[in-house]
Amino acid sequence: MNWIIAFPELVLTLCGLVILTVGVVQKKSTNPFAACSMLTIAAFAITGFLVTVSPDGSGYEHVFVNDGFARFMKVLSLIGGALATIMTLSYRGTSGGGRFELPVLILFSTIGTMLMASSDNMMTLFVGLELSSLAIYILCAFDRDSVVSSESGLKYFILGSLASGLLLYGISLTYGYGGTMEYGAIRTVLIQSGGASLGLMLGIVFLIAGLAFKLSAVPFHMWTPDVYQGAPTPVTAYLAGAPKIATFALILRIMAGPFGALAPQWQLLIEMISVLSMVFGSLAAIPQTNIKRLMAYSSIGHMGYALMGLAAATPGGIRGTLVYLTTYLFMNVGVFAGIAAMRRKGHETTDIADLSGLGRTSPGLALMMAIFMFSMLGMPPTAGFFGKLMVFSAAYGAGLYGLLAIGAITSAIGAYYYLRIVKVMYFDASAPAFDTRSPSLAFLSVSMGIVTALFVLVLGPVTSAAQAAASALIG
Amino acid sequence: MTALVFYVFATILVLSATMVISARNPVHSVLFLILGFFNAAGLFLLAGAEFLAMLLIIVYVGAVAVLFLFVVMMLDIRVSEAREGLQRYAPFGAAVGAVLFAELILAFGHWRIAPAIDAVPHLGQAAGETNTAALGDLIYTHYVLLFQACGLVLLVAMIGAIVLTLRERPTGRRQDIERQHARTVADTLELRRLPLGRSVRELGGFARPTSYSEAAAKGSYDPHAPVLSDESRGE
Amino acid sequence: MIATLSNFLFHTMLGHVVLVALETLAVLVPLLLGVAYLTLAERKVMAAMQLRKGPNVNGPFGVLQAFADAIKMLTKETVIPSGANRFLFLFAPFLTFSLAMVAWAVIPTGNGIAVADINVGVLYLLAISSLGVYGILIAGWASNSKYAFLGGLRSAAQMVSYEVSIGLIIVSVLLAVGSLNLNDIVLAQRHVWFCLPMFPMFILFFISALAETNRAPFDLPEGESELVAGFFVEYSALAFGLFFLGEYANMFLMSGMTSILFLGGWLPPVGIAPFTWIPGPIWLIVKILFCLFCFIWVRATFPRYRYDQLMRLGWKVFLPLSLAWMIGTAGFLMATGLLPHQGVS
Repeated sequence: MNWIIAFPELVLTLCGLVILTVGVVQKKSTNPFAACSMLTIAAFAITGFLVTVSPDGSGYEHVFVNDGFARFMKVLSLIGGALATIMTLSYRGTSGGGRFELPVLILFSTIGTMLMASSDNMMTLFVGLELSSLAIYILCAFDRDSVVSSESGLKYFILGSLASGLLLYGISLTYGYGGTMEYGAIRTVLIQSGGASLGLMLGIVFLIAGLAFKLSAVPFHMWTPDVYQGAPTPVTAYLAGAPKIATFALILRIMAGPFGALAPQWQLLIEMISVLSMVFGSLAAIPQTNIKRLMAYSSIGHMGYALMGLAAATPGGIRGTLVYLTTYLFMNVGVFAGIAAMRRKGHETTDIADLSGLGRTSPGLALMMAIFMFSMLGMPPTAGFFGKLMVFSAAYGAGLYGLLAIGAITSAIGAYYYLRIVKVMYFDASAPAFDTRSPSLAFLSVSMGIVTALFVLVLGPVTSAAQAAASALIG
Repeated sequence: MTALVFYVFATILVLSATMVISARNPVHSVLFLILGFFNAAGLFLLAGAEFLAMLLIIVYVGAVAVLFLFVVMMLDIRVSEAREGLQRYAPFGAAVGAVLFAELILAFGHWRIAPAIDAVPHLGQAAGETNTAALGDLIYTHYVLLFQACGLVLLVAMIGAIVLTLRERPTGRRQDIERQHARTVADTLELRRLPLGRSVRELGGFARPTSYSEAAAKGSYDPHAPVLSDESRGE
Repeated sequence: MIATLSNFLFHTMLGHVVLVALETLAVLVPLLLGVAYLTLAERKVMAAMQLRKGPNVNGPFGVLQAFADAIKMLTKETVIPSGANRFLFLFAPFLTFSLAMVAWAVIPTGNGIAVADINVGVLYLLAISSLGVYGILIAGWASNSKYAFLGGLRSAAQMVSYEVSIGLIIVSVLLAVGSLNLNDIVLAQRHVWFCLPMFPMFILFFISALAETNRAPFDLPEGESELVAGFFVEYSALAFGLFFLGEYANMFLMSGMTSILFLGGWLPPVGIAPFTWIPGPIWLIVKILFCLFCFIWVRATFPRYRYDQLMRLGWKVFLPLSLAWMIGTAGFLMATGLLPHQGVS
């Protein structure tokens, strides 16, 4: 019973080890990078299938749980991992050529995110988070001959360690005052004890702080712009996707599960983080000239919107958050595929000004970028609209009118800088054309563009899956 | 008696921890850190956790701190430079520390484990089981998933260390051990019959065995390098 | 009289302290004497192997040579190099020496006879032997000399590397025993000594022990042909003597560990009449002496390893081998149902 519920993780781990071995034993003359990337994508696909058919249950002495919610989150993070791996296919570092550790590290990081999605115990939470973060620290510094990449890796590592420290502090306070680290047991204890002690509340605050760091929610966002800008573009695309989704899985699960009874206490905290993220994300993005930095601030804002659903603390809110994250995953990968395609004579260019006149020099790419920008700001009928609609309606249902108003205002501010990019692409004087796009990037941007534009077609299944996931969580 | 031993260990532990951060010489800091580990191990022993105590010494003192010391000894750390920012950041750090401390006081002032904790089952030590066996049971049987996940974390760290630092330079003269083993005397040694009264020098100096470049790891040795004659050895 | 004495020894606090002190002395005095004569034995054995006579002036067959050396060492001047860290410089040899002594607390010389028969004896031994590196590292650093420092660094890397395989080999043994208690480990070898079923590990352990004690052919930390005398190049007189004693006491310790883990400790080779008449401690001493002879034999036979070869051997040969053996042992015991459960009563 134990091993069958963690079967997808076990398979993915084995695949990772095999791919690592393949990469190591290959002759140095043939670069195993492409082969390893392909194998990694295949491993993600197999695991994704296994996840969808994996049975419900809890195992390993209540450290691991598999339910509808876990499956939903795992599939999302596997998709995130696979898309990022596809993007790495065209990746060339400063010193030229990819190295096979890149897909392998993405794979291991994704195992971490899957553990996070399935955590039923604070220990799983921490180990999963560390596994996924450690791999990302390395990935950020992967282009070791580039100063910005090394800087981003180091910065993320140091601040991330600090956040892990806070998280551990929170876990140990929770353990000290709750007497257990199992989610179910904490819930029982809290309900039977009738409320939490002060120490436990402190523990929750530290927990939220540690997780908010990984989400890059204000006020724990300071690492985001530098890391986004410095990391290799496929890595940025990855770290904006799967790990954040998994962190959301954690935060949703612990807030709704063990601390569900304390909702009135933590709701305010989440609301605050949500408001601050939305406001800061939209205001700070305005003066940006680098598109990767802009996307960093935009992701801060998006995390704010997604947290809105949690702040509502209702099944509808959680469903909204899940749908929001799904749409965010796709449009985010699409944007970064576009950014990765911004290469001139083999060098990456990331200034917004470099996009000028893209509508004439490369109409296909410009169209896709425009779709993503419209989706990011929440224009109907793109994907982003439905995500926003659901979290807003959940907030409305929970009576969080202030939050709703701020969300609407910041969306309007956000529209300014998203539309600015569209304006630069279509109305500014043409800059020199970019290099021809590699097939993997073209595939990614077109397919993500189609998903984003025609999300309404899959809205039904996604919403019902999210509904099932949310009800698995809150019951 | 136990209380006395506890206070001795605890006092030295706290003192050496203080010295770790206040010692001027970083090597001294590491040595105090080691002293601290020892006393922590002593505390573990007092608590009856002899396995943890030994593990602390083997892992932290015997391996981690050695590497620490190894690195610190080789670094040329200028303490005055490291302390430059201290004036500026000290108040800020102190403030954060004070807040955390106050929160802790606040939290521990109301120390009360949730009263309903007995309602949930706990994994524990079976009667008559040594704590080593109990830990083994927990780690390898009940929490094996987490144990393996921790193994993965370490694997990732190892991959990271290699990815970020290993550079294949063609300059090192590494030995290819299999080739070295396969070498025979005939490859290495050349016996020449010399006419009486004439030196090796007149016959063109010492020739380097051709198998040199074969025994070396690929690319690490240039077979076309000028032959070292015994003039250039500077007799 | 005897009743009062036994009452004092076994039932009062002070008596207990006295008893432990006596036990300690009973272990340490023979050990130190042994160390003194090991130095002589080494010179004699190597001389015999190299067709020389060895020390033969002081006393019959040179038996007083060890004492002559000791007196010479004690009467010399302790020189402290300028710029050396005085405290650490003097602390390092003391540390090396005392660590080699305290490890003997857990070595059982008979069934249940040890100064401290603790549950985690093996771990204690491993911990103490892993601390040995500090004496050398600190000595190398505190001497304020390049040769000494290089020797210290080499030894740090070397000892940490070989500890890994030592640890894994010990785990293989522990799997077969099911207990960390040294006495249990010996008792588990009643039927067959572990050196037979685990012969490769026995050899690996012995070689790792050579590396762990910085003995030839792994004596790179002192490598006199390149580093003059390595980490103790600046030491003289008593401080040097302590290093010297520490090194030989460590040889005793590693021989003791080898005997206990693989050669059945105080057990006779076969549990039948003429062998069982000889008491356990004698058997242990015989085995230790055998190991020590091998130590000396190796030194007289093999040339010194080069540093990269040493590291390669440790990480690329011993580590995978001992890891594979450990997994194999675990699998075998699991498959045959021989896995012991001593820890879980």
